[in-house]
Amino acid sequence: MKKAILPGSNLQPRRDWLFSLGPYVIIAIILLALPPFLSNYHLSILTKVLIFAIFAISLDLILGYTGLLSLGHAAYLGIAGYTAGILMVRYGLDSFWVVMPLGILAAGIAAAIIGYIALRVSGVYFLLVTLAFGQLLSVVAIKWRGMTGGTDGLFGISVPDLGLPGFAWTPSSFYYLVFIAFAVCFFLLSRITNSPFGRALVGIRENEARMQCLGYNTWAHKYIAFIIAGLFAGVAGVLFAPLYKIMVPAHLGLTTSAAVMLMVIIGSAGTLFGPVIGAALVVLLERIVSTYTPERWPLILGGIFVISVLFMRGGLGIYLSRFWRKVRPQYGNVES
Amino acid sequence: MDVLLANFLIGISFGFILFLLGTGLSLTMGLMRIVNLAHGALYMIGGYVGVAVARYCEGLVGRDLSFVVGILAGGTCTGLLGLLMETGFLRRLYKRELDQVLLTIGFVYILTNLAQWIWGPIPQSGITPSFLSGSIRIAGITLPMFRIAIIIFGLVAAAGLWFFQERTKVGAIIRAGMDNKEMTMGLGINLGIVFTGVFALGAFIAGFCGLIGAPLLGINLGVGWDALLLAMIVVIVGGTGSIQGALVGGLVIGLVDAYGKTFFPEFAYFTMYLVLIIILLFRPSGLLGRRIQ
Repeated sequence: MKKAILPGSNLQPRRDWLFSLGPYVIIAIILLALPPFLSNYHLSILTKVLIFAIFAISLDLILGYTGLLSLGHAAYLGIAGYTAGILMVRYGLDSFWVVMPLGILAAGIAAAIIGYIALRVSGVYFLLVTLAFGQLLSVVAIKWRGMTGGTDGLFGISVPDLGLPGFAWTPSSFYYLVFIAFAVCFFLLSRITNSPFGRALVGIRENEARMQCLGYNTWAHKYIAFIIAGLFAGVAGVLFAPLYKIMVPAHLGLTTSAAVMLMVIIGSAGTLFGPVIGAALVVLLERIVSTYTPERWPLILGGIFVISVLFMRGGLGIYLSRFWRKVRPQYGNVES
Repeated sequence: MDVLLANFLIGISFGFILFLLGTGLSLTMGLMRIVNLAHGALYMIGGYVGVAVARYCEGLVGRDLSFVVGILAGGTCTGLLGLLMETGFLRRLYKRELDQVLLTIGFVYILTNLAQWIWGPIPQSGITPSFLSGSIRIAGITLPMFRIAIIIFGLVAAAGLWFFQERTKVGAIIRAGMDNKEMTMGLGINLGIVFTGVFALGAFIAGFCGLIGAPLLGINLGVGWDALLLAMIVVIVGGTGSIQGALVGGLVIGLVDAYGKTFFPEFAYFTMYLVLIIILLFRPSGLLGRRIQ
């Protein structure tokens, strides 16, 4: 069984606790200290990495932990982004405290509706249905020109106002906002996955029939997990829209859903830190390849899909956690 | 009345294309539990290769024959691609659904980008041979000849596939494999070869439709995903694993789409999703589905 090394997952010796938390602290310090050394361009890439990391860990809750093959996860990112964007561009709302929660709420409501229908089927059928809904929403975004701007996209989205006097958004303050959101989401999701509820989700992934026999209402567990994942994807969405300054129908559809699925799988589904690494890898690779041959990026992306399936079974995160266990054998061991 | 009848024929002809798109997906899903997301991309490649070959042959064998050659070439090419995908990659991934999904998505990206590399980003126009151009009048309405041809061709294909699955020994093995894989293998049947054959057959049918469906769906780089989506809706509505299911699903969706476009032009694209949602709410295994896993 795959299991994450998470803060608090093995509490016994104090030094052990330090060891499992150590990498997170170091990475957090690096991420906090980086902005002054980066140009705005590189900072925007780093911001994008963190937003996609939020997006990827939200998918991981249902894909990695619960075992639901969702290929329509971009729908919630897109709905949150579009909602926030429409409120700002079409209705002139500019308060951070109104726009952001409403965007996230919209994603949660969409997940509640779609999940209710999609969870009637399981396995690959679930995948097909979620995929169909994602495409349906991207068609809505194309057809509803008056609201969404159609294929031209909804442009002119900015970061909503925090309401603090004398405060204006800069790329680095926006980066810190994204960082805080990422840290909060990561913490919350690690609490959720380590809670009895999260354990039950893993149980459903491993053997749903057995969980039913044990008296768990597996449908409700899956449904709630689906909605939670939608809400977290919404958090990624409301940050995504101001970063890109535009929402286009493709953000709701298949290509975005497939990309985030790849991030989760490359990084190791069923761990929280894995998808973060996956998100960083895919975003950075896209950036690097696009500077050399933007035309051939889909070809290379397709190659990454194939290679990750054939040669990196389980994902990079598994290898990293194995390595980390080797480094510190004297402090007990983490199950895997 | 004329409107109803005309739309009926338009819907049926679209429905048969949908049926052809859906069967391959339905067979591989029903038998092998593989969801081949590259199914639409194979259809797209079939279209591109078909047009290219037909154009090349036009000077050699004439316009009409070159159309037939193009269709066969498209089907053969994707059949071979399917063979390659199954034996080279998917064979190692049985029962690993997530990996199959990722692999086939990877193939969509690769095939689409290769098509763009070879044929450029501009959509190709289909080929209409002389015997399919023009239109005929039936019962007071005018219908393009190619729609009639699609209906006839679809009927023949449906009958052929039904006969294959229900009345031949191989078909019996395929049905047995869908119902109980272990038992079938226990009887000494090499299901591996059957799997490869069915996957290649599905890929062949997809590519075969590429040129035939061109007047309705077009041949462009986006059609890989579009065709996949249509095939998926057909499979979910009709149910997996049977020729009849794909046929019913295709015809229902085709008719709903045709009438939807006439009566609710604003929401034309959404009518088929509405059917999908209703089916999922009230009959999740599809209209004629074999059991859902």
